[in-house]
Amino acid sequence: MKRTIPTALGASAAVALALTACSGGGDAAGGGEPADGPVTLTLAGWSLASTPEFQTIADAYSAENPDVTVEVVEYPAGNDYDTALVADLAAGTAPDVYIIKNLKNYLTFQTGNQLLDISDVAADLDPATGGLEHYEVEDGGTYAVPYRQDSWVLFYNQDLFEQAGVAVPDGSWTWDDYAQAARDLTAAFTAEGSSAVGTYQHNWQSTLQGFALAQAPGADLFGGDYSWLAPYYERSLALQEEGAQTDYGTITTNSLTYQAQFGTQQAAMLPMGTWYAATLITQQESGEADDFAWGVAPIPQHDSSTTGTDATPVTFGDPTGMGINPAIDDAKVEAAKDFVRFAVGEGGAQALAEIGITPALLNDAVLDAYLGLEGMPTDELSRFAFQEHDTKPENPVAPETAAVQNILNDAHSAIMSGSVSVEDGLAEAENRVASEVGIG
Amino acid sequence: MATIAVDERPPAGARGPGGPPGRSSRRRPGSRLKRRNTLIGWSFILPNFVGFAVLTLVPVITLFYLSLTSWNVFGAAEWVGLDNFARLLRDGSYHTALTNTVYYAAFHIPLTLAASLGLALLLNRKLRGVAFFRTVAFFPYITSIVAIAVVWNMLFSPEFGPVNQFLGALGVENPPGWTTSADWSMPAVILVSIWRDMGYYMLLFLAGLQTVPAELYEAARMDGANGWQRFWNVTIPCLRPTTFFITVMLTIQSFKVFDLILVMTNGGPGQSTLVLSQYIYAKGFVENQFGYASAVAVSLFLICILITIFQFLWNKRRDA
Repeated sequence: MKRTIPTALGASAAVALALTACSGGGDAAGGGEPADGPVTLTLAGWSLASTPEFQTIADAYSAENPDVTVEVVEYPAGNDYDTALVADLAAGTAPDVYIIKNLKNYLTFQTGNQLLDISDVAADLDPATGGLEHYEVEDGGTYAVPYRQDSWVLFYNQDLFEQAGVAVPDGSWTWDDYAQAARDLTAAFTAEGSSAVGTYQHNWQSTLQGFALAQAPGADLFGGDYSWLAPYYERSLALQEEGAQTDYGTITTNSLTYQAQFGTQQAAMLPMGTWYAATLITQQESGEADDFAWGVAPIPQHDSSTTGTDATPVTFGDPTGMGINPAIDDAKVEAAKDFVRFAVGEGGAQALAEIGITPALLNDAVLDAYLGLEGMPTDELSRFAFQEHDTKPENPVAPETAAVQNILNDAHSAIMSGSVSVEDGLAEAENRVASEVGIG
Repeated sequence: MATIAVDERPPAGARGPGGPPGRSSRRRPGSRLKRRNTLIGWSFILPNFVGFAVLTLVPVITLFYLSLTSWNVFGAAEWVGLDNFARLLRDGSYHTALTNTVYYAAFHIPLTLAASLGLALLLNRKLRGVAFFRTVAFFPYITSIVAIAVVWNMLFSPEFGPVNQFLGALGVENPPGWTTSADWSMPAVILVSIWRDMGYYMLLFLAGLQTVPAELYEAARMDGANGWQRFWNVTIPCLRPTTFFITVMLTIQSFKVFDLILVMTNGGPGQSTLVLSQYIYAKGFVENQFGYASAVAVSLFLICILITIFQFLWNKRRDA
């Protein structure tokens, strides 16, 4: 009997997940507002206790539309969200409106006929909504719209910069300037006998590949040639070698977190998504993070053509979308569309900004609300960094995305751990993409 | 109510060989009793069987079907025949995963066997505090796998980890990178899994050792056999049923290894610790290629069953 267990992994786990996922239903009805409206919509979210954004949008919508109750259905966090949601969708028991956590799986839902065409909603939205264009698929339809978009920026510790006597980022940095600053900072820290380092690059593949894909000339995830990653790896490995950046192996073996490394001033710089701003504020309040002055700068650029505050810095991000389950009751479709329109529009954006989430729609009013939060940096450059960016998708929408990214993830761990040379690691990735995905 | 029907019975030979089964089987002696007993028997195993059927049997049967389709979770599964299996033959990552799994098994099975037997022999004496040491040896087995992975990863940390600091103190110039090195990650994982499993198999060996008749040792001693000879000619042969059972269990366990590797290295660096179970997981739950993932799972099933059959046959031959 035991030997059947591994082989049963696929299917039985799906059944188990379906069973456990169902138990999340119905226990998260929205607060205490006047509920008995004629329409009740359900919305899928995850870890409601620590992720208030879903309830916030639901409450904000119900406040304006007392006739509609939005019930948030809780799903597990992390990758389990997709797995559990997929099981519910396949079983026909998923909520009316659900979150598409990242672009990587958008096509799976869309081509699997699990999303309603909401091009009409998309047409009503502000074209400035970040990441909106990524949801338009080949047939011209738009099946989901982004309500939040975290772009990657450079967090820096002003106190540590000052202590080391290194000039803080001014928006003009290329990656080489960034590397030089990391070296200078580390040298100053070492001279003081401190163990802090210049910068912390977390072990996710996106902390390096995301920038290369967004900025490097000729970068194409589906081109079959990955030489555009090489300069980014060489720079990062050199920093690691010189001790100016926390070692990859130390990160993985000690399960280091970027929150602890930057929050307890072990690193003076941290390229990270804008979501970290709210976390950092919370952790500084709770004492989990040290109390220090910090700022946000545009992410360093490939070359000087996109640097400076008169240009638009190029970075990457992964918009979080919202779509409608086609299994929804016909009578509720209009209400669901209206809810999505609200969530992605100014109303939802404002509500999200007030709890420290970066909405996809970032106009001046929304940004004022966001930066008005207690603890947010107030300098001009930080405002510029939050507002101005050309955010490329971390996972361009294509059927091959997941497979290619998994191969590049293997290359990332092999190269960063020093197990292979940059050249060999990328050549191996190219071979695998050719043979396993059929590109190149 | 529960009377036993003793009705006019047809002669006993009515269902003899070659006799037509036809009407004669209508009422056999005690058939009701038999049926009742059968039903009672079924009702006893029913609770377990329902769980097994719903959570294991049906999914496994579905799995075989899915392996012949290109199912991606949604909608109907499209029949692709043996395409998935043809793709397996060409898939470099599958070959890597298979090689790594065999690598893991080839070291994990014999080394765990040896370590657990050694522990069992050591702790099978009348020592002071033997119960304590047995508990200590068993402890890793009941420790959470995530905790084990996190702690061992720290111990293996190339720069600050105690393992390499110890090696450095011994004068090793270039200590291995362990889980951060493609060459050393598999040995690191194997070491941890031996450490984790040996306590459990030690317990099985201890049970086996209790069954070895003391007279045999006595007789051997009378014949002038030394400790090694007694071990080799008395202990080992008497332990053979236990050893066989443990080998089968270890083999299956080694081929389906998943959790420890997932948490400890996640298959990395690169693909250096990618194993089959993890490949199934990645193809299925990460890339939504459930059809192909099922085909990999079927291949793993076939490998396990073939090895087990081979082990049974081999054991039988040695029995004979």
